Amino acid sequence: MNSVGKSWLLLTGLILFYIIYLLFGALVFSSIERPVEDELRRDMEALKAEFLNQSCVSAASLENFLVRVLTANKYGVSVLRNSTVTSNWDLASSMFFANTLVTTVGYGHTTPLSDTGKAFSIVYALIGVPFTMLVLTACVQRIMYLLVIGPVCLLQRSGLEPRPATVVHFVLLLVLVVLCFFLAPAAVFSAVEVSWSFLDGLYFCFISLCTIGLGDFVPGTQPGQKYRPLYQVAVMVYLFVGLMMMYLLLRTFHKMSDLHGLTSFLQLPRCEESDVDEDREPIVDREDRTPPQPTEKAASRPLDPGSQPSYNTINKG
Amino acid sequence: MRWKTVSAIFFLVVLYLIIGATVFKALEQPHESSQKLAILTEKLEFLAMHACVNSSELEDLVKQVVSAVRAGVNPSGNLSNQTSLWDLSSSFFFAGTVITTIGFGNISPHTEGGRIFCIIYALLGIPLFGFLLAGVGDQLGTIFGKGIAKVEKMIVKWKVSQTKIRVISTLLFILFGCLIFVALPAVIFKHIEGWSTLESIYFVVITLTTIGFGDFVAGEKETLEYLDYYKPVVWFWILVGLAYFAAVLSMIGDWFRVISKKTKEEVGEFRAHAAEWTANVSAEFKETRRRLSVDIYDKFQRAASIKRKLSSELGINASINQEMTPGKRTLSANLCEDRETYPTLTRNGSLYLNGLSPDYADRREIAIIENLK
Repeated sequence: MNSVGKSWLLLTGLILFYIIYLLFGALVFSSIERPVEDELRRDMEALKAEFLNQSCVSAASLENFLVRVLTANKYGVSVLRNSTVTSNWDLASSMFFANTLVTTVGYGHTTPLSDTGKAFSIVYALIGVPFTMLVLTACVQRIMYLLVIGPVCLLQRSGLEPRPATVVHFVLLLVLVVLCFFLAPAAVFSAVEVSWSFLDGLYFCFISLCTIGLGDFVPGTQPGQKYRPLYQVAVMVYLFVGLMMMYLLLRTFHKMSDLHGLTSFLQLPRCEESDVDEDREPIVDREDRTPPQPTEKAASRPLDPGSQPSYNTINKG
Repeated sequence: MRWKTVSAIFFLVVLYLIIGATVFKALEQPHESSQKLAILTEKLEFLAMHACVNSSELEDLVKQVVSAVRAGVNPSGNLSNQTSLWDLSSSFFFAGTVITTIGFGNISPHTEGGRIFCIIYALLGIPLFGFLLAGVGDQLGTIFGKGIAKVEKMIVKWKVSQTKIRVISTLLFILFGCLIFVALPAVIFKHIEGWSTLESIYFVVITLTTIGFGDFVAGEKETLEYLDYYKPVVWFWILVGLAYFAAVLSMIGDWFRVISKKTKEEVGEFRAHAAEWTANVSAEFKETRRRLSVDIYDKFQRAASIKRKLSSELGINASINQEMTPGKRTLSANLCEDRETYPTLTRNGSLYLNGLSPDYADRREIAIIENLK
């Protein structure tokens, strides 16, 4: 089968598998969440009935009132007594909002209300998202040299074989990232935020760092939060650094699977080096590999004799 | 990338965020305050109208209602015939928003089990979706590339330059893609969901960049009856649209890189010019020194020959009175073509004396002799 036909087949296979995965997720979510939702609904009905019973309020006016309250609440405007002081659009919160916009996390706890705000968000996002990605890539390229290539060479020198060295290093990096960017911040959040448990903190960290950003948990939105601007800025920094580490993990994994031949097996694009770092030594040199599969998407340049220690040269030992 | 470039870009991003923050604040805060005022007046009116309700009871009710809405249950209206938020098609949609990292948030898991499962599900699903996106983007790219190749063939007949063709094809790509993936769906959403034009475009952009606020979600209005295939078609549109947007965003990123490269080139050119200028100046300076030293050499030669003539006429032996200063030694070595005896002192085919400059040499001596060939 020629390579074009093969890639189409692979794609349809992937789509099918993806659909099955979604169906599976749907079934599980449905079976877990639905009973809880039904119970909550029953509670709400009881609450409304109770309220209506003991007061002179008619059902219609209560409905009206509730609809208005809920519409306002959707945009983050709360009618409760102790939330009149803090605004959702003071400078720190607006910056937090702008940050969720450009990192594509998008919690949605505050959303632009005005039309101009919406139009501005569109333009701001279209420019800011690629900009942020560029910054992340640049930072990760620098950090990669420090955190990945150095330690791998160290591991090699201490006697490990090249391929297991990369696997060991990846596992170590993974453990480090999970410890520092998931478990530790989760503990901090559960201590600082009043109503969050440790699992809630962990859930929040994960949902934010994968840029899913459901928005059911957002730090710093409880009324009466102390040092709110500082807290929000700290969360922003955490998000940015965490995203960088996730991207670093992803890139390391991609390079590792390149090395182990996974990406050429799945006919995926190989980990391309950007041509920005021409003015300094390249982080990864392309080597003259003879892979088992004849079809390769990216061209490999032969290795320079005087090159720096790089990830792919590890294969040659 | 150099550290300087990275930190420069980082400061740019921070600046961009601050600018965005001030603009958002200026746009939204007045609106927010007016909303707050409106809802507070509502509350006071309600309390005034219904005297048997005290405000703490009302607060309680509102709190419970708000948290119920967060959980996805809308307490207003008749609760019994509302469709569940966790029926199969909505759960399917939710699973899709988790894996694509859009994460609308209008539905979110509330049980501990649901949350743990969500984490594990996303851990496996996001890379899976990444592969899928890569594959779809690839196919999209080849399909579009073939179309562009045909168009380029046509344009080449008009004898336009290569860069112009590139620019035209990029523009065509953006235009076509915007039409299919942004404009058309926006019109459809506007028609079906009843949003305004701006809101539809806003929804499309926020969804396809995977930001996904969740204030507008297609297919979630309870008052509308949707066709059965509406949600799956929306999901399919999200998939292909995401691939298109990823391509556009990476193209914008490439432009940034090209611009920074061009700036670097220009800076490099400027530096090269400066270096050239300095080299020119120092070469001229050296040339002047050379001419000066040759001039002195000529004069010395003439003086020496006159002295020799005089001494031969007067019968005095020239070699006793004259000291062999380094300069004269250089001179005699060069003249006698004895350069090979002083190999360490030769450079560029002429004799140098350990960097002696005209300042050190005697007026009668020559410190540097250049290119005596």
